[in-house]
Amino acid sequence: MEINQALITAAGPGQSALPLQRLVDRDGIEKTALEMILAKVVNAGIESVAIVISPGNEEAFRRAAGSHSDRVTFVTQSEPTGYGQAILCARSFLGVEPFLHLVGDHLYLSSQSKGCVKQLIEVAAAEGCSVSGVQATRETMLPFFGAIGGVRLPQTERLYEVKRVIEKPTPTKAEQELNIAGFRSGMYLCFFGMHVLTPASLEILDRLVATEKRPVSLAEALNELADRERYLALEIQGQRYNIGVKYGLLNTQLALSLSGVDRDRVLSDMVELLASQKLS
Amino acid sequence: MNSQTSTANRWIETILSLDESVRHRTLESLCMGLDSDALLHAVCELDVFRRDADNLYHRVRAHFFLSAIYRYYLPKTFPETQAGLLPYEAYQHILSRRFPEAIDQLLAVQKEQGPTLVIASALSRAYHQLGIQTLADQVRRSVRTVRGNQWMFRIGHPSEHPLRLNKELHQRDAATGDYPILCEKTSVRMDFSHSGWSDIFFLGMDYPEGARVLNASIDLGVYGRDATTRPPVEAYLRVIDRPVLRLVSTDLGVEAEITEIDDVFDFAKDYLGLLKSALIASGVVPPAMEGCHQKMSQLLKSLIGKEGLGLELVSKVNDIPKGSRLAVSTNLLGSLIAVLMRATGQVSALVGGLELQDQQLITARAILGEWLGGSGGGWQDSGGVWPGIKRIEGMLAGINDPESGISRGRLLPQHTILRDDRISEASRTALQNSLILIYGGMAQNVGPILEMVTEKYLVRAEKEWDARLDAQRIFEQIVVALEQGDIRRVAKLTTENFTGPLQTIIPWCTNRFTDSMIEQCRERWGGQFWGFLMLGGMSGGGMGFFFEPSVQAEARQWLLQTLVATKRELQTRLPFAMDPVVYDFAINDRGSWCEMLRSDEATMPDGYYAIVAPKLIRQDIRDLSEQSQRELMRLNRSCREGDGRARWLLDRLLPQAQIDSDAKSQLPEMLRVNGFDKTQHEQIRTDLLSGRIGLSENRLPRQTVIEDVSLDDMIDLREIGTSNSRSSDEAFLGRRAIEAGQVAVVSLAAGVGSRWTGGAGVVKGLHPFAKFAGKHRSFIEVHLAKSRLTSELYQCPVPHVFTTGYMTHAPMEKHLASVNNYDYPGQVLLSKGMSVGLRTIPTARDLRFFWEEMAHQVLDEQQQKVRESGHAAILGWAKSVGEASDYTDNLPQQCMHPVGHWYEIPNMLRNGLLHRMLNERPALKYLLLHNIDTLGANLNPLVLSKHIESGACLSFEVVGRRMEDRGGGLAVVDGKRRLLEGMAMPNDRDEFGLTFYSSMTTWIDIDQLLKAFRLDRTILGDTAMVENSVRAMAAKLPTYITIKDVKKRWGLGQEDVFPVTQFEKLWGDMSTLSDIRCEYIAVETMRGQQMKDPAQLDGWVRDGSAEYIHSLCKWS
Repeated sequence: MEINQALITAAGPGQSALPLQRLVDRDGIEKTALEMILAKVVNAGIESVAIVISPGNEEAFRRAAGSHSDRVTFVTQSEPTGYGQAILCARSFLGVEPFLHLVGDHLYLSSQSKGCVKQLIEVAAAEGCSVSGVQATRETMLPFFGAIGGVRLPQTERLYEVKRVIEKPTPTKAEQELNIAGFRSGMYLCFFGMHVLTPASLEILDRLVATEKRPVSLAEALNELADRERYLALEIQGQRYNIGVKYGLLNTQLALSLSGVDRDRVLSDMVELLASQKLS
Repeated sequence: MNSQTSTANRWIETILSLDESVRHRTLESLCMGLDSDALLHAVCELDVFRRDADNLYHRVRAHFFLSAIYRYYLPKTFPETQAGLLPYEAYQHILSRRFPEAIDQLLAVQKEQGPTLVIASALSRAYHQLGIQTLADQVRRSVRTVRGNQWMFRIGHPSEHPLRLNKELHQRDAATGDYPILCEKTSVRMDFSHSGWSDIFFLGMDYPEGARVLNASIDLGVYGRDATTRPPVEAYLRVIDRPVLRLVSTDLGVEAEITEIDDVFDFAKDYLGLLKSALIASGVVPPAMEGCHQKMSQLLKSLIGKEGLGLELVSKVNDIPKGSRLAVSTNLLGSLIAVLMRATGQVSALVGGLELQDQQLITARAILGEWLGGSGGGWQDSGGVWPGIKRIEGMLAGINDPESGISRGRLLPQHTILRDDRISEASRTALQNSLILIYGGMAQNVGPILEMVTEKYLVRAEKEWDARLDAQRIFEQIVVALEQGDIRRVAKLTTENFTGPLQTIIPWCTNRFTDSMIEQCRERWGGQFWGFLMLGGMSGGGMGFFFEPSVQAEARQWLLQTLVATKRELQTRLPFAMDPVVYDFAINDRGSWCEMLRSDEATMPDGYYAIVAPKLIRQDIRDLSEQSQRELMRLNRSCREGDGRARWLLDRLLPQAQIDSDAKSQLPEMLRVNGFDKTQHEQIRTDLLSGRIGLSENRLPRQTVIEDVSLDDMIDLREIGTSNSRSSDEAFLGRRAIEAGQVAVVSLAAGVGSRWTGGAGVVKGLHPFAKFAGKHRSFIEVHLAKSRLTSELYQCPVPHVFTTGYMTHAPMEKHLASVNNYDYPGQVLLSKGMSVGLRTIPTARDLRFFWEEMAHQVLDEQQQKVRESGHAAILGWAKSVGEASDYTDNLPQQCMHPVGHWYEIPNMLRNGLLHRMLNERPALKYLLLHNIDTLGANLNPLVLSKHIESGACLSFEVVGRRMEDRGGGLAVVDGKRRLLEGMAMPNDRDEFGLTFYSSMTTWIDIDQLLKAFRLDRTILGDTAMVENSVRAMAAKLPTYITIKDVKKRWGLGQEDVFPVTQFEKLWGDMSTLSDIRCEYIAVETMRGQQMKDPAQLDGWVRDGSAEYIHSLCKWS
């Protein structure tokens, strides 16, 4: 299976300015968050990218995309009617080909030489099915993520066959339905904000949106997808950083800097800061 | 292999076998024909086995076998003279629940000294409690390991809280600005089949095949009060605009605002324990947060996702009394848990009905909540959450269940709903047209019964095991009859179940009240009365009566009147919490149901405003939150619209004439007529406050030397056995005295039997506590039956005196008249009490001494937590009401107290009864004095002979001490033989060096006693002289301060127990007086044992004591 296109959603309420935030990357170069995301996508071999934005933001996003702007198609979601609905806005762009899907308020830092996006795309291409990036997450973080239940594929270390997907499950539900053999109690596989999806997912979303008449989450569609076709999850070797939460941008910047060329400088600045500040 | 080894192996083989015919071997068949050596060998082998057994139930069954052998079989194989002493450390280990250590120590003593009665009784108790503890721990562990419950035991900090409140709940209504209210309405459950208490977890988890009930969700209405039936319990939840957790119980009339997380775990602080359990079990305040010392606002912020908001949880029971045996509390807990789980997204639907998996989850959480709250109900109790009629059955544990390898059965049962295709609408209607549900009004403690059932099952007691199999057969027939719509047969089967298997397993599940109601139904309605149904653990609370449908309406009216009349007749004999109630009921086919109340409908139930509104009105309106202001505006509007709220609001806001003033105003008069000594009372108060008297001051000085008596210093009749020797030569003097009319019996019945009734204030002597010769008999009937046999044997009617007190005199007089003294051939006389005390609020010093210095059985972990939290509340109560102030906040009878049994013989002098008796019977020379609960005490000619021969003024009977015999004994105190009260022991340890326990039974030489009082027969009529001599004698004796429990009843069947202080003088202290010659006679245990607690009854029947008592009696 070849994956040549990507979809980034950035139209959520309060989300539209996040990809425009400027950060310093691992190489010490100042970029927007969007530019960094696009760089990863392009490095993974993706040709064209659609970004779902809210009305009136196209110009700012185009500028933020920097050198990658020529690969980007902007799709406008006129009303913030839901996550599933946002993905469906790009349906005509995506056609009937598999696609990579990322969220616009997350940055990913791989813990190995291969980038997070590339790890995911390689597995999806090899397995020829939808694959979601996941990460082992403590139950206390369940209110923030979609989570999967499934079984580890034989002869693999980080690949799981997905049986069940629940959006922001309660720990009660998670304990009953999302247990994974070999995991410590209270640990679950939660979405990494990164998926490779087949067109079937769009079909399901389409039907759900048409019948439910309410905001539809991607997790609902993926839960159905797991019943319908082979659907895997890959435990990504890396970290995700949500720049949309309190101190999210700061943490992301620190993570970038401390794993890049400016590590010593940032560390010494931090020590100086620590030494000079008093609790007010 | 020798024969002993093969005997021991038989027990272990029974425990381990997979073959049912071997595994279900009964205790009796295993013990049959075993001598002392074989039994001792078996207990050794079983003890080794239980230490190594991996399987929980193998271990537990070995514990119960060991307990039963030590309790019922081994003691019969060695003589009573092998009394022995109990090591104090072992006793302390048992009290502190360190059972394994206690057992090790007791076994070491047994090995060294040989088996003794006291060691056997202690080992029996330790093994029994270890068995129960092991089971309880396992249930608790299993509840925790149920999937969906585990996470709550890991989340220890509010910032980690993984639940989020449904956003709909914090969206204000656009028009009113109010938050919506989530309202859950839930039925209660009724159990048709009972099936031998098979819903006890301990049974279901070992014997799932036998655990089955037929359980219906029902809506209720009180007959004559409610127009329709409705779900009896309701739970309300809403967001409030203050960052606190507000809990309101409308049925108990209390509310609290919780600002600290730790307070949620303080169950006994107020009446909101059930709501707190629901918060914990629902995961809103996860159990792992106990002791986290964090603010509730922090948790609420995580949970709601916004600052400054809080939650309000409100419970409502539609005036259904507590103790209805319809699992009202558990279903209210289930309802509260359901509403909280809906709000936090843990069950699938926010409103409407519940899915099957949700019902299962709520059931598991309700079980968890009950165990957290220290109550621990059965697994069918949350049946009201489920719809309709269902079959609930134990399930074998599968390989993937957490119970696998631990117990045969799963913790959680399987529910199969019997829908219309199984039990048709016509059958349901027929059932409703025949069955009348009632609440009998009796206050009961079912806990001991559940322990008895468990033990009898695990040792496979023969009769009881057969009865259990019989109950299972009846269960299946009830299901078939219901499916066929044959309600008459259902009634026949439930009656058969009650009179057959249930009463065989637990004879105490029926009582005089229930039997009387069934008899009256049969008499009045004949064939139109179809049958009886017992609900819950025992009868007297919830019950069902089946009638032919054509007379149901008439029978309902009659039943209510008859229940109330029967209760009135028996209320001084049996503990009733309130008047009986008759219900209307309907089967609820949709289960627990939830609605979201919005806009103008978003109001709490009326009871809520009655509690909350007065508090709000008393505050400055500007200090109230916007939400509270709107609430008051709405209340104002509805008051103006004249919906009746204005009246109750005024009632609560403005002072009214005291409704209960009648009862309170009676107290001074009752004190006056019963001989209350105000001067003495004030002196006691002053002394209490100054610390001159108190619990610690009851004790003798530390340097007092306490030693055990030598057998040479007493008369030992244990070996020969008093009951078998009445015709012997040695008994000649006694026989002659009885034949000559020289003896009378005095039974002490002035006390209120606090331990027997838990402070309920009924007359213990009149309690029809056990069946003899097919009939419930009271203590006084038993005593008269013994005197009747004596009268017949010796051809001389024995006068029998019952001493009475302010609480017991009138009921006993009335009762004896109504039964014509049970046709007793001799004189039956009442000696009326002449003095009474007024209870006082305990001092904090005495309360602390009572809880901390005196020995108490530590409870199971969770129950102990509840108890300790209750102590803090009681200390607060004592300080706020006033230490040592008069206790007057109860019925007058409950505020007064008898002043100790020492006064009861002097009362016979003061009220002239002894004078009259001596005038009428100049031959009268001796009295046999005994406690009302010493059932074996009778006019035994051998013991009387020994008394006469000794020439003593008083001969006290003593028995070899067993584990449970605490409270004093026969001692040598600073070189003098005397009876020493437990509370006077300088040190708790001293009692454990004493071989003999005092049964309080005393043979009195009347003339010598009068002489000690400085009186004689000729001057007994001189009242002033008698009064002076009694006062002079009283002054020589110590006054003890004691703390007793007293019940206060309120609301619908609610009861609170308060500790109160009272004083007493005790008869045993007569042995301290140097001018009174005393003798001590050791008798066999069965003659001297006392019946202090209803939980003793079962063992008392099983060890042959009841049969022994029966052999001493001649019934009318």
